[in-house]
Amino acid sequence: MKGMLQYVHGNTILHKVPPLLKLLIAIAICAACFSTRSLLVLLALIVLDVILGFIGNIGRQTLRTLCSLCKFSSIIFVLQIFFVTQGNALVTLPLGVRITDEGLRFSAMICMRLIGATLPLTVMLTLTRLPDLTRQLVKVLHVPYKYAFAFTTAIRFIPILARDMAAVIEAQTARGVELDGNFIKKLRLLLPLCVPLLVSSIRKIEAGAISAELRGFHLRGKKAA
Amino acid sequence: MIDMQQLSFRYESAQGNALTDITLHIPRGEFLGIIGPSGAGKSTLLSVISGVIPHHYTGDFYGACVVNGMDTVEVTPTDLSRVVGSVFQDIDAQMVSSMVEDEVLFALENFGVPAKDLDSRVEEALATVGIANLRHRSLDTLSGGQKQKVAIAAVLAMRPQVLVLDEPTGELDPASSQAIFRVLRTLNEQGTTVVVVEQKIMLLSAFCKSLCVMDRGSVRLHGTMREVLAHPELLREIGVNCPRVATLHEQLLAAGLSAGPVPICVEEAKAMVEGVLA
Repeated sequence: MKGMLQYVHGNTILHKVPPLLKLLIAIAICAACFSTRSLLVLLALIVLDVILGFIGNIGRQTLRTLCSLCKFSSIIFVLQIFFVTQGNALVTLPLGVRITDEGLRFSAMICMRLIGATLPLTVMLTLTRLPDLTRQLVKVLHVPYKYAFAFTTAIRFIPILARDMAAVIEAQTARGVELDGNFIKKLRLLLPLCVPLLVSSIRKIEAGAISAELRGFHLRGKKAA
Repeated sequence: MIDMQQLSFRYESAQGNALTDITLHIPRGEFLGIIGPSGAGKSTLLSVISGVIPHHYTGDFYGACVVNGMDTVEVTPTDLSRVVGSVFQDIDAQMVSSMVEDEVLFALENFGVPAKDLDSRVEEALATVGIANLRHRSLDTLSGGQKQKVAIAAVLAMRPQVLVLDEPTGELDPASSQAIFRVLRTLNEQGTTVVVVEQKIMLLSAFCKSLCVMDRGSVRLHGTMREVLAHPELLREIGVNCPRVATLHEQLLAAGLSAGPVPICVEEAKAMVEGVLA
């Protein structure tokens, strides 16, 4: 199974674009999402993200990410809708709660910004080999190697954590925990599982750190050749 | 090569000692297997050799461990790593990269190997463990056995004089386990001192020159394979499986049918049985 943010090999034009440029494009799209207030522009940016995904031959994956982002942002949408009280009321509920056109617009904007800003980053990271990105960060942007290494390690750990979480869920399901119920129930059952996941990932990170140290990590940069 | 003198260690938060009064001499060119029930202190012993104890895991450290003339307490783990290459139990956690080639390059770049030598060093390390064809693969496309070989190659690239491995075949099938040990034997024949913690006694008896049995932080038995396997009762008491060839020898001995030395492989056992039948 291909996990989230894992590099997908390919030979498309987006694979060949220098990693830094890709990162720059992604950040530019993010910035555009946050600077516009127009829903149409936001929609166009999201469509652009998906098109980029298809160009990079990871269209199906991009749509899947879009789908899960939509699910997530729908929660935010529902929450947000009640907090904006300006504008004309469309629906008035008891206890003085009202849904306004302004609230609707604002919530939609927040959600689309969230989707529009997250999607380009996931697309770019899926199309970029991490070591290439680190190398360019160090060489071109002169980021200290230690920080670049920490950055790539953090990203590299996301799929590992996702896999561990899947394993924990599987183990719990095998012991009769029903995780198919509704969202709240699922969340309540999953939260306690985060503790062992956290502990095991700290152990993993420690083992990784020791392994790096035993292969001369601290020497890097001291005698820059 | 490795000399431990009355070494004891207690982890900072632990009640009892993880290692108690260990005196162990591992000569250059040795191929030592370490076996024992879990909690016997096997991994702790390896951490002492690689300097992770006491530099990373702190606690009460008594005695001394000298590796190639360096006192492990006085030099940093990084300095030690020029001599000792360590492969840990958790294969995934010890990877620092997502590509095979970068994983092997990591140590070489850190130690400042000249750029013109990098290519040949990577090639050499991968070829030694027999995975030169995987050089450009991504790590998450590899099988457990292949990853384990990458982990070994990444350490071999530094050309260590000592190689310590913690249960390198822990998650592998019998065929891959054999393959890993064949790699270790080749390295040992080329002069590398190998210290390996392993639960599968058959692998150890087939490949190692000598065996060390640990229990509750102490070394209970240490000697050549034949010397150690001559104590099947003690092994059972500690909770270590005895190879079937040694058990057979014990039974024949008890029945008064055989008096020769304990066999350590199937061929020797076959000869022994033929001798009895003749």
